[in-house]
Amino acid sequence: MNDATTRDGRAAGGPLRKWGELTRILAIRNLKIRYKGSALGFFWSLLTPAATILMYAVFARILKFGGGGGYLPFLVTGIVVWGFTAGTLNDSLHAIAGNSNLVKKVYFPRAILPLSTTLANAVNFLLTLVPLLLYLALAGHLRLGRAYWLVPAVALHFALALGISYLVSTLNVFFRDTQHAVGIGQLAWFFLTPVFYYPAMQVSAAPLPDAWRGLVYLNPMTGILAMYRRGLIGDELVPGPESLAAWGAPASAAPTAWWLAASAASVALVFLLGLFALRRGDRSFGDVL
Amino acid sequence: MDEDWAIDVSHVTKRFRLAGSARSLKTAVLDALRGRRGRVFAALDDVTFRVRRGETLGLIGANGAGKSTLLSIVAGTMRPTGGAARTRGTVSSLLELGAGFHPDLTGRENVMLYGAIMGIPRETMRARFDAIVEFAGLRDFIEEPVRFYSSGMYVRLGFAVAVQVDPDVLLVDEVLAVGDAEFQRKCLDKMDEFRRAGKSMVLISHDINTIRRVSDRIAHLSHGRLVGLGDADSVVQGYQAESMGALAAAAGAREWGTGEMRFTKVELVDPATGAAFPDRAVVAGDRAVVRLRWHADKRVERPVCGFSIARASDGAVLFGSNTQIAGREIPFAEGDGGLDLELDLSNLAAGDWALSFALHGADHEKNYHRLENRLLLRLTASRWFDGLARLPATWSEPAP
Repeated sequence: MNDATTRDGRAAGGPLRKWGELTRILAIRNLKIRYKGSALGFFWSLLTPAATILMYAVFARILKFGGGGGYLPFLVTGIVVWGFTAGTLNDSLHAIAGNSNLVKKVYFPRAILPLSTTLANAVNFLLTLVPLLLYLALAGHLRLGRAYWLVPAVALHFALALGISYLVSTLNVFFRDTQHAVGIGQLAWFFLTPVFYYPAMQVSAAPLPDAWRGLVYLNPMTGILAMYRRGLIGDELVPGPESLAAWGAPASAAPTAWWLAASAASVALVFLLGLFALRRGDRSFGDVL
Repeated sequence: MDEDWAIDVSHVTKRFRLAGSARSLKTAVLDALRGRRGRVFAALDDVTFRVRRGETLGLIGANGAGKSTLLSIVAGTMRPTGGAARTRGTVSSLLELGAGFHPDLTGRENVMLYGAIMGIPRETMRARFDAIVEFAGLRDFIEEPVRFYSSGMYVRLGFAVAVQVDPDVLLVDEVLAVGDAEFQRKCLDKMDEFRRAGKSMVLISHDINTIRRVSDRIAHLSHGRLVGLGDADSVVQGYQAESMGALAAAAGAREWGTGEMRFTKVELVDPATGAAFPDRAVVAGDRAVVRLRWHADKRVERPVCGFSIARASDGAVLFGSNTQIAGREIPFAEGDGGLDLELDLSNLAAGDWALSFALHGADHEKNYHRLENRLLLRLTASRWFDGLARLPATWSEPAP
């Protein structure tokens, strides 16, 4: 078989350094191409979320929705965080299929393609955090007392994005239906995630027995988003009895924070699934592309 | 010697699934349910060979013989269905020159990207950058997006970067067909340099002369099988025979006529040696002689012997003549007779040509014997003109 030992006989500094360089260049390429030819370039990564925040702020004021002052920071945090997931999901469709010329031409670990796509989106995500933090600070909603929650949030979020990227980029090589399915799936996922509604609403509306309401955290984004909001705006990690009461759910329906482990477990599952798909697909990328 | 290999291809088989190759989820699911797996096409069938370190192997074969598939497997971009292909050292492939370039990135960015794909450290690539630009002759354009490059510039940069990454094994697929004469010469020089440096190469080309010039050994693939492997002369002969055979089948030799008079021999002769060529001949020189012999059971008055030469690919007749036109009347034929026809081929473009012959009456009413596409000629000598044939053309100063 084409094992790595014979392929990189002259790997200067080992495979990590060798392929790390390729990953870096491809990620930069993805970023460069995104804004190639536009005058403002990467500033769009800052402008887009800033404009989004501004628009929500203006319309929330005009239409008087969202009730208390806490809704807008809650919403835009969700939107910016969701943006990384959605962006990676969409870009990953073409991570391998769109690089067929490279894949057919030279051998290199195919995992680099979705990895660099995810990295490019992660860099973009970090940029979008700048206007978010700025807004939260200016609006007086930034609560960094429990910022340590951002560590598992970012780690899980990146692992999830990478797993999805592996999965989606591979599937789209073999089944071109993937891109259509992803469009619908993404919308469904968005509604299943408490981006624009409160987690308490989801927990109280979930058609589950009280002891099992924590199952909503099987959606990895539910848990990840909760950690981000905990770290950034000091929201409660899981909806407590008071929050639930506002939506008519009994105190017994309050899930424990341990349910967040379900989110972490599903991240691991998605990641392994993606890794498995990529390894299976790697055998015949060259035939299909 | 056995240990000193750079490429080891061992019993490599590659099968592709044809119909129902799962492009949509629906068909994939339906096929799986019906237990249908699609038709299978064997692109490579049990191919085994080794390329020694420092050796250049030429790969020849008809279109669809599996040459590119084999090269992809050696490059590692495709996996064999059975068997294994191993390489030692870094492999650089010119499967499609510049194919990996991204149109929106500049020449410089693409060069660095290619280096990274080949696993070359950044500092090394930086050091080689000037040499690459120099070789490609693109100093003024290297900061432009390659979108604005002409196809020639694209290919030049592709070749330059692929050879400058300094691989141990270089795989070249039909790249010498592109680029101008000067660039081709540069490429050939580079290949020679490679050989001298003890690197291994596998190259595909339809240009047999190039293959002969560059290769130490030649491998001949036919329908996915390795049918010849060895020194240039013996293998190329087999390949020529195969490709001319395919050509003959395509050109469609046909024979008809009333039979009062018949050709008994139509033979192509090398004018230099007097030796007969086979019916399908490769002619390197400028002259050929056709020996025509016939027989008439009963006396035939004023027969005419004619010939025509047509392009083998589409049958377009380029030239035709006969004894009547040429003013060499044959008063009668009875028993055995014949003529020799000497052809000056120097005005004919290189390529494949089919010769047809006819015996007919002076009034063109009766066709005694017609042999269509009887002989196939492959002209290999290079010509210094454009098009199919040379016409007399002279230049002069305008009249004052």
